[in-house]
Amino acid sequence: MLFEKICNDLVELKDTSETMMDLAYSALLLNSRALAEEVLMLEDMVDSLHTEFELLVLSKRGEAEEARGLLGLIRMGVVTERIADAAAEIAEVVLRGAGPHPVLRMVIEDAEETVERVVVSEGSPIVGKTLKEARIAEETGMWVLVIRRGNRWMRPKPSTTIQTGDVIIASGYADGEEDFLKFVGGMKQDPQ
Amino acid sequence: MNEVERIEYTPVSVRETLILMKDISELMIDLAYSAALFNNRELAEEVMELERKMDTLVYVLNMNLMLAARDREDAETLAGVAKVGSLTNSISDAAADIAGIVLRGIGIHPIVREVFQRTEEHLARARVSEDSIFAGRTVDDLELAAEVGVDIIAIRRGKHWMINPEKEMVMPDDILLARGTESGLVKVQRAARGEAKDLE
Repeated sequence: MLFEKICNDLVELKDTSETMMDLAYSALLLNSRALAEEVLMLEDMVDSLHTEFELLVLSKRGEAEEARGLLGLIRMGVVTERIADAAAEIAEVVLRGAGPHPVLRMVIEDAEETVERVVVSEGSPIVGKTLKEARIAEETGMWVLVIRRGNRWMRPKPSTTIQTGDVIIASGYADGEEDFLKFVGGMKQDPQ
Repeated sequence: MNEVERIEYTPVSVRETLILMKDISELMIDLAYSAALFNNRELAEEVMELERKMDTLVYVLNMNLMLAARDREDAETLAGVAKVGSLTNSISDAAADIAGIVLRGIGIHPIVREVFQRTEEHLARARVSEDSIFAGRTVDDLELAAEVGVDIIAIRRGKHWMINPEKEMVMPDDILLARGTESGLVKVQRAARGEAKDLE
């Protein structure tokens, strides 16, 4: 059904732009180029999703009274795309890479936080478990920021089931890094 | 015309200000989508309040950045931070535009609204009255999450905002912004108004 599809697309647009904001800020505060790159990948996805959404809404040619409600949807899509763009530009500031200024850096170095990207391998003990069951934070001290599956990015929810090939992006203190790699039983994807 | 105030310099931590700006813009986005999807004018008005707060923060952030620059290298890196500040402000402008969909009476197509009413979490605003059971207690003490499945995501006291409050005390006349189930929110609103003396 057309409206079902419109709603799904809108939810995905909204979720994706919010994920981008999350990641862009984490990229900035952790000075992580890897995260910034993820944001730019998401930006491409949002652009095509947004086009698809607009086409869907436009294909629902309605009566005059309906036009208002459809305009509301179009505007919402445009604004959501703007949020995604802003997040992408924040990521670009990180990639331009002048390095964080002391006003930011002081706190970053104190925290000794890092970002890890790990591909979940076939034999990993967490395959088939939900994030809640996997207890990654409890076991390793690393927080899952986002999970990338193919060309989809998912905000971590307790009910998300981990699959082989998922890329888990997590942040935490540097000493949790080894534990995290071992625990997830995956392969490290290029460093920070 | 809107009232425009002079903004004075105050020394702030750049990192903390940026994080606060991020929290505010996220809150604005949550409120704005909810306002549009549920056609809720009250929530849209709160978005506009936050937008004014954000404008002040950007000014103060920029003043602090300017004073922190001592040489060419500083200028190069701080320009990036200033850019992030202004981008965060554009995100909050975007949220204000979403709220504008409601305030300008454009609205969202009713069928889409219906779908969201079934699937999305609800947000609501509640004003705390003098005789409310909430008055004089901290947000943690209220245990609203456990009792009725509701989270207080922000408190507004006049122009002062508390985002993700925990240890903060709820006072009469506070505006509570809450997220949760529809029935839970109704209970919270009734208790805030002082109409109900418990959460049943």
